[in-house]
Amino acid sequence: MADPNKVDPIHQFGIESIFAIGGDDGGFQLAFTNSALFMALSVGVIAAYLILSTSGRGLVPNRAQVLSEMLYEFIANMVRQAAGTEGMKFFPFVFSLFMFVLVANLFGMFPFFFTVTSHIIVTFALAMLVISTVIVYGFMRNGLGFLKLFVPSGIPTPILLIVVPIEIISFLSRPISLSVRLFANILAGHITLKVFAGFIVTLGSMGVLGFMGAVLPLIMTVALTALEFLVAALQAYVFAVLTSMYLNDAIHPGH
Amino acid sequence: MNKARETKNSDGGNKSRSVTSDLASRIAGAKSGRSGAGNGSAQGGSRGASGHGRAARLGTEFIAAILVGAGIGYVADLAFGTSPWVMLVMLLAGFASGVLNVIRAVAEMNAANPAPLDADLGPSEDDDED
Repeated sequence: MADPNKVDPIHQFGIESIFAIGGDDGGFQLAFTNSALFMALSVGVIAAYLILSTSGRGLVPNRAQVLSEMLYEFIANMVRQAAGTEGMKFFPFVFSLFMFVLVANLFGMFPFFFTVTSHIIVTFALAMLVISTVIVYGFMRNGLGFLKLFVPSGIPTPILLIVVPIEIISFLSRPISLSVRLFANILAGHITLKVFAGFIVTLGSMGVLGFMGAVLPLIMTVALTALEFLVAALQAYVFAVLTSMYLNDAIHPGH
Repeated sequence: MNKARETKNSDGGNKSRSVTSDLASRIAGAKSGRSGAGNGSAQGGSRGASGHGRAARLGTEFIAAILVGAGIGYVADLAFGTSPWVMLVMLLAGFASGVLNVIRAVAEMNAANPAPLDADLGPSEDDDED
């Protein structure tokens, strides 16, 4: 970062240790990184906002309470539509996931803030959480009947030999697509934003003509910022919708 | 609004039962209206954001299945020493389940946003005779 004109779009995703426990004697080191800091911040902001805004319990809610009640009803309706009334026992799970992804994405829109969801290990951990919940609860509730998920009804046995492996791969691809989608959207968006913002600086330092040309990437950057806010909210929504659809498979296996 | 509520209260002071039932029906009406509005806006939102969201969804669904299929095959090849045959077969199976994923995702999207009744969906079966 010595040269301010140098554009380094990847730099923002670097993980730095803020403080570390252990590791002095070459042993296991537990580092509190900027990623962990922003995860903790996200959770703290979500908890503080929801607790403070609903503490009044006004029959006529104020603005903050209206927003948290809208978030609640939005996710509650979504879970009920996708997974039925029985799926509502997973409402706290889906709501926490949605809020975490949403707030982490929106935190990433602040300049100089770290975007937690731009690392695939974070989104993959969230997706594995979803899929292991589906598998564990599916077997708990349906026993071996959960395996009917891989055996579509009304198909002759010889074809099952082909269909069952395809269904299994389709199921196993869920955590990959769930995590890659969130991670790729956020990563690509932030890199694009940084590259276009870098054009402004580079062009602006090239005399009057370049200064006028820099207006174009400036317009692009403003538009992209708006798009990124949309993507941040949309991807949190998509993550939550797919989570409740997968949970529906655990509750009602067999298509 | 406050005034209206006061007059209503003084009117129905002796028949509080009818007031509460009236209140209950008003709450129910507001609730159904609000949930309807909420659904509508959610649908509108997902429709407005459709292009980008759908493209991302379909692309990852397809790619992920291929990657998983090839990955399973690769690991199986390492285990059995049959390189590269299991991987080739599982890659093709991955393609198939990728297509299956995409078909399912599109079916969900179509169910969520059905075409309007008067939409032109191409020739109907009657027109397809000759």
